[in-house]
Amino acid sequence: MVNNPLQSFFEAKSIAIFGASSEIEKPGYVIAENFLKNFVGKTYLINPKGGEILGQPVYKSIFDFDDPVEEAVIIVPAKYVPSTMEDCAKKGIKSVVIITGGFKEIGEEGKTLQKRIDEIAKENNIRVVGPNCIGLFYPKRGIDMVFLPDSKLTRPKKGGISILTQSGAFGSAFLDIMGTLGNGNYLSKFVSYGNASDINEADILEYFGEDPETKIILAYLEGFKEGKRFIEAARKVSFKKPIIAIKANRNEAGAHAVASHTASLAANDAVTDALFREVGIIRVYTWDELFDCMVAFNSSLLPEGNRVLIITDGGGAGVMASDSVGELGLELAQLSPAIHDKMKEDLPAFFSVENPIDLTGSATAKEYIYSLEQTKDDPNIDSITYIIIPTPPAINVKDLMEGLKPYAKTMNKTITFCALGGAEAVYIREELEQMNFPFYPTPARAIYGIDKLTEYADFLRDHGQKLPIIREIPK
Amino acid sequence: MKIDSKSIDVAYKEGRDFLLEHEALKIFESVGITFPPNALVNDTKEALAFAKKVGYPVVIKAMSPEILHKSDYKAVVIGINDDDDLKAKFDDMKKRLAKYNLEGILIEKQVKKGIELIIGMNIDPTFGPVVAFGIGGILVEAISDVTFRLCPTTKERALRMINEIKTQKMLNGFRGLPPVDRDALAEMIVKVSKLAIDLEDYIKEIDLNPIIANEDGVYGVDARIILKKK
Repeated sequence: MVNNPLQSFFEAKSIAIFGASSEIEKPGYVIAENFLKNFVGKTYLINPKGGEILGQPVYKSIFDFDDPVEEAVIIVPAKYVPSTMEDCAKKGIKSVVIITGGFKEIGEEGKTLQKRIDEIAKENNIRVVGPNCIGLFYPKRGIDMVFLPDSKLTRPKKGGISILTQSGAFGSAFLDIMGTLGNGNYLSKFVSYGNASDINEADILEYFGEDPETKIILAYLEGFKEGKRFIEAARKVSFKKPIIAIKANRNEAGAHAVASHTASLAANDAVTDALFREVGIIRVYTWDELFDCMVAFNSSLLPEGNRVLIITDGGGAGVMASDSVGELGLELAQLSPAIHDKMKEDLPAFFSVENPIDLTGSATAKEYIYSLEQTKDDPNIDSITYIIIPTPPAINVKDLMEGLKPYAKTMNKTITFCALGGAEAVYIREELEQMNFPFYPTPARAIYGIDKLTEYADFLRDHGQKLPIIREIPK
Repeated sequence: MKIDSKSIDVAYKEGRDFLLEHEALKIFESVGITFPPNALVNDTKEALAFAKKVGYPVVIKAMSPEILHKSDYKAVVIGINDDDDLKAKFDDMKKRLAKYNLEGILIEKQVKKGIELIIGMNIDPTFGPVVAFGIGGILVEAISDVTFRLCPTTKERALRMINEIKTQKMLNGFRGLPPVDRDALAEMIVKVSKLAIDLEDYIKEIDLNPIIANEDGVYGVDARIILKKK
């Protein structure tokens, strides 16, 4: 990877924290603690008050020690940010993250301050993330500028998803969700870029695109600094890895008076929608959809086609899932005749071996596992959704979960899961999430996950691209 | 291909921020976008001579810097089938619209029935110039079935664009009409998208609406170019 400014932010061996605080409820303390506990490089704490935090000295100035420093995190109040930037310049720091808010987003006074930091950055070739953001998080190297304490925000652990977000609050809530989901192994890199005075959405997308540790990119955007560049970058990146994006603020009208039909049609976000589709960005609109896509892409494989098999013990759930298959333009798979005939023979006569495969209220864990075993290699099926209603008396959910565990390591077809009900459904959810299977609370969402995987795979095939391996089959 | 953009200077000189249709036609035709045979005429004699050359039916349109939305002024008359009809409609139009500083009457061979589509260009505040394609004519704003690409675009992308609109049924031979020529359409999209870049300093919006796709090919039948304020 050449010349992407973000590389040095994530690879820095030494970081100075301006505004490190000994008061544990302050962001300056949380960030200091994060780095002291987890960062694999050297951490320097700076605060004019001096003292110490967790046994580490707090320097009154960056000039109180001679070691060179590669990166800075700035959490000092806005009015002190320009002078802190000047200190960074003198010290030779080239990568600066400004967490502090109170810049362009608050009006004229803030704008002037932001302009000042832009000037200092330009004059000294300093690259800036922020201001007004929650900065970077990179579990692998213990870079953690998220000022929300561990006790309140569960950090996700090392994984393959990288996030770029314009909103810090959105980003942190999503991190928390990832941290508490399954085994928590989700995150490669996180960048909250706030006002994007320098580094913007296009820089970050390009960086994630080139970054070999990033397998999936999630983006939360409200606007663009460089819309055209973002689209052109996505055109290349989406051939290598999925980009799942929310572009909120959809009613932000292109509300200038227009004289042509074209211009009136181009209002609102029809253009964003078309351009995202063109370059293969998987656009999602709601929090649920973002979550559903994340789970699907992180935990399942890309399907070879659009034929879906539904396995369930509930007639109604199967019908609803079938409806979703039709509505989303997917197809109900037809079992290969040999597999169909064998299953028909092996299973009780009143089970329906069609699509959906309906194991009825007499289903057992054994029959559930048997159905998966029989169909998982059927070439007539591209993906499977497995909808469990655990209430029938003969289903032992513990046995069912034990029986599924081996498949978590060997499953070589797209699969999504759903369990409907109360306590046992919750148990199933937790078990499946631990196995890193994609779990959904409703049949429609389990099919939606398959639909988005199928759509992306179609896009790649349609453009003559190979399907990337996002999820390695676990050993 | 040399773009014939003289009319842009004329429009700016006259203080207009749009081109008259016959001016826009010159630009489009100079880059190979097809229109039915047409001519700007001033009197019935010229009109009749044109009709004799291309055959009926013909369409007449009043060209005036004071008329941007022609339908508001009944400044378009279609389905003229013979010399007498042409004489009558022509005189009537000149009389009715005399006060609007007419530059002439644009007379066109009327194309056969077909599917009405739109190709356009707009400068998106976020993404810059984008080319639009979709279902056109009077349905355009009612059903909003339209998609966009960054300018300039390629033929491959334009073909995908055509595949992307929802009303595919309309394109595949609707109600006895022949399927639209996707190839020709894609080329037209590409040309508009290139024009947007070549004349980026001047052009703010383009509308080719409708474009008629029929058994003979794909034709622009109304064209509008809005200029950037100078």
